[in-house]
Amino acid sequence: MKGSNFSYLMKQGVVSVWRNRMMSFASFCIIMVSLLLISLSLLIVADVNIVIDNAEDKNEILVYVSDADQTDLDAVEQKIKSNSYVANVVFYSKEEAWEHQKAQMEEYAELFDALTENPMPDTFRVTISDLSKIETVKSDFETIKGVDSVSAPYDFASVLVSLRTTLGIIGGAVLIALIIVCVVIVYNSTRSSVFARRKEIGIMKSVGATNFFIKFPFFIEGMFIGIIAGIVSWLLTKLAYESLVSFFAGDLTIWQILGLVNVIQFSDVMWIALAFNCVAGAFLGAVGTILSMGKHLKV
Amino acid sequence: MVELKNVDVHYKDGGKNGVDALHNVNIRINDGEFVFIVGNSGAGKSTLLKLLTREIVPTSGRVFVNGYNLSKMKRKKIPYFRRSVGMIFQDFRLIPDLTVYENVAFVLRVIDKSNKYIRQRVPYVLNLVKLNDKAKFKPTQLSGGEQQRVAIARAFASDPGLIIADEPTGNIDPALSYDIVELLKDINKCGTTIIMVTHEHDLVQYFGGRIINLSNGSVAFDDYIGGEEGEDEGE
Repeated sequence: MKGSNFSYLMKQGVVSVWRNRMMSFASFCIIMVSLLLISLSLLIVADVNIVIDNAEDKNEILVYVSDADQTDLDAVEQKIKSNSYVANVVFYSKEEAWEHQKAQMEEYAELFDALTENPMPDTFRVTISDLSKIETVKSDFETIKGVDSVSAPYDFASVLVSLRTTLGIIGGAVLIALIIVCVVIVYNSTRSSVFARRKEIGIMKSVGATNFFIKFPFFIEGMFIGIIAGIVSWLLTKLAYESLVSFFAGDLTIWQILGLVNVIQFSDVMWIALAFNCVAGAFLGAVGTILSMGKHLKV
Repeated sequence: MVELKNVDVHYKDGGKNGVDALHNVNIRINDGEFVFIVGNSGAGKSTLLKLLTREIVPTSGRVFVNGYNLSKMKRKKIPYFRRSVGMIFQDFRLIPDLTVYENVAFVLRVIDKSNKYIRQRVPYVLNLVKLNDKAKFKPTQLSGGEQQRVAIARAFASDPGLIIADEPTGNIDPALSYDIVELLKDINKCGTTIIMVTHEHDLVQYFGGRIINLSNGSVAFDDYIGGEEGEDEGE
C-alpha cells in the first residue's frame, strides 16, 4: 500500500470518531472507567501484597528445644532447614533469651537472680516462604526429635492468606466483567459506525476495495478511542491514587501498624502505568472492532 | 470480453420450488461493444448484473468477465476483479460529504493509486464529462444529470475495460438522458465495453445497436437494430 493511501486511511479512522461521536463517546467512557478501575485495583492489590509480604517477614514460627546439647541442636537445625517451605532460620540461644528477658524486666532483677537455673529454652526463629503452609510446617517441626514445642500464629496467617485469595478472586472477576463490557460496547459502536457508513462501504465494495481498505479505518477508530481513554484514565488514576495515599499518610501510625511504609508511589510507576493504560485501551478498542467487523463487513 | 455459458440462477425463496431468475442464458459480448439490455421488471436484468459484478454466482453454467472466471473465483480475488469493471447506478451512489473531485478521487484511492496519479487523472475525467468547473461542489449542489455525469467520471476514472450502467437515466430528466448515453458512447469510442441496462425503449430505439432483451429469465432477443441517431444526422 502506498504511504499516501495509508495516511488517508488513518485520517478516515480518526475522522470517523467524530462522525460517529455519540457511540465513540460511549466507547470512550466505558473503556476509560474500566481502565481506571483496573489500574487502581492493580495498584491497591500491589500495596496489599506489600503489606502481606511485610507481615510474612515478621511472622515467625518459634521452635523451642529444651535440654539439648550442641549435637542435638545441630541435628534439629538441619531438619528444620531441610523443609522446603523454610526461608530463613535464626538461632536464639537460651543464654541470649535469658539475658534478653532480664533486660526487659529489670525491675524484677532480684527475682531472676534467685533462680539458679536458666528456665528459657533454646529457640529457632523460622520464617517460611509460603504463609498458607504454616500449619503443615508446624506439624512437621513437631515431629522432629528433640523439639519441645512449636509456636505458630495461625490466625493472623490465615487472615492474610484469605485476604490475598479473596482480593485475587474479586479482582479477577471484576477484570473479566469489565473487559466483556468494554468489548460489547465497542462492538456496538463499530456496528453503528458501519451502519452510518454503509453507503460508502457499498461504493467501496463495488469499485474493488479490499477487505483491508474497508476495515482498517474502523480498526484505527477503535484503537484511537482506546488510546485516548487510556490517557484520560491514567490521569484520573494518578489523581485518585495520590489522593488515597495522602489520605492515609495523614495517620502515620496506621501505616506503621499495617506495614504500609513502603507503599508504591505513583511517580515511580507513572510511565509503566501510562504505557499499560494506552496498550490496554488500544487492545480493548481493537478487539471490539475486529469482532464487530468480522460479522458485519463481508466483502 | 463478457461471456455467459448455459447460465441458470435459481433463488430459494423458502418455498418448495424457489424462483428461476435466469434459465439457460448464453451471451457473448466482445471487447469494445456497446450493448443495451432491456426487459420488463422481473425479467432477470438485476440478476444478470449481480452475476457480472460477482455479487452472486450462477446455480449452474459459467460466467467470464475480463478474463476472470466468476463461477470459480475465490472471495479474496473479488476486489481485484471489480477494479476491472466500472459501475454506474440509477441512484448515482455518490458520497454526499465529499466534493465532486473527492468522489472521483475516492475510487482511485481505493485501488491504491498514488497522489500524483490522482492529481492528473481526476481533472482529466472531470473535463471529459464537462464538470471541471464544479469540482469543488458537493453532490447535493448538482442537478440529477450532473450527478450522473460525476458517477460516469468515477466509473471511468480507473480506466476499466468494462463499464456496467444500471438504469443510468432512470433518475434524471428525460431530455438529459440522451446526453448521458452520448457520454457513454464517447467513452465506448475509447475502447471501453459498455453494458447499459435500461427500460427506456425510446432511448434504445433512438441509439440502436446491439440489444439483448430478457424475458422471464431467458434471452428473448439478441441482435442489432438500426437507430434513429444516424438518420437524424443524415437528415
